[in-house]
Amino acid sequence: MNEHSSFEDHGRRLFDASVENLDMRVRSRLTQARHAALDASTSPPLRFLRLPVWSSAAGLTAAGLLAFAIWVGGPMARPHHASPVPESQASLEDLDLVASSDGSNAAPMEMLQDDIDFYEWAADKTASGDPGNVG
Amino acid sequence: MAGFATLSQAWMAWDGPAPAPEDAVLDHTRELEKFLSEVERRAFRIAQVSLRDEDDALDVVQDAMLKLARNYSAKPSAEWRPLFYRILENGIRDLQRRRAVRKRLMAWLPGPKEDPDEEAVDPLENVAAGGADAPGLLMQEQAMSQLEISLRALPARQREAFMLRNFEGLDVAETAKAMGCSEGSVKTHYSRAVHTLREQLGEVW
Repeated sequence: MNEHSSFEDHGRRLFDASVENLDMRVRSRLTQARHAALDASTSPPLRFLRLPVWSSAAGLTAAGLLAFAIWVGGPMARPHHASPVPESQASLEDLDLVASSDGSNAAPMEMLQDDIDFYEWAADKTASGDPGNVG
Repeated sequence: MAGFATLSQAWMAWDGPAPAPEDAVLDHTRELEKFLSEVERRAFRIAQVSLRDEDDALDVVQDAMLKLARNYSAKPSAEWRPLFYRILENGIRDLQRRRAVRKRLMAWLPGPKEDPDEEAVDPLENVAAGGADAPGLLMQEQAMSQLEISLRALPARQREAFMLRNFEGLDVAETAKAMGCSEGSVKTHYSRAVHTLREQLGEVW
């Protein structure tokens, strides 16, 4: 029985030593994996999956209205004017303009993306009726 | 409706001191992190012994951590260990099955045959260079390599029982949960594993 136990102890000690001697690359990847798992456990499920039926219908209606507004206000609805530059070239120039905008006059969409946490938080606070302590 | 009168008011509240964290959620997350940091390296070695591939072992452990965190973190923490190892062992078995299928498929195809199980193990590869205790470390590595070779030769259930009971220190009931079998089966698998390993390693160890 004793011999049996010492055999098992020896195996356990060898295993423990091999765990201690793991290289930094493996340790680092395990740490990353752990953080990913913790993020997955704390991140809430996607909100749109929890929307009640009526709000989905309202969302679809709003999307329809928006599409209609874009269609009515879009180039198809406007009287055709001769453009000084070809349309494809104009689109590329628009892209350049958006891409080259720096921090001093950042595009509104960029600002929205940067502050998305803030807007989510503010919406939650407003919905819960607790604006917090404001000086 | 209560809320912020202006956007700047909302910004002021946002910049102010954070509201008190929900202690229960925070404690739960800390507990989960503690648990995962305790088991991750041992789980990796267990997976590596079974799979003989570092990247595959890392993938299986990462998958097990994600599944536990996503699906079972709400369970009492006392249940995490057997659940985690059950997920891990399932992942290892799945990967071994996929390998077996791939091996059969490769046997039908012309060209060089891929067989990762035939790779030679060089214990010197993993020994740290220099080091005051290099000979001792080398002996440990060699002994562990021999144990790993013998473990791989065992039937899968015996290997699982041995690693969970001996390496990870699960008791019989936890091992039974992790393996999805009865406690009696665990005892049988474990005892046979120890017997076979002792027969193989007794003289050279």
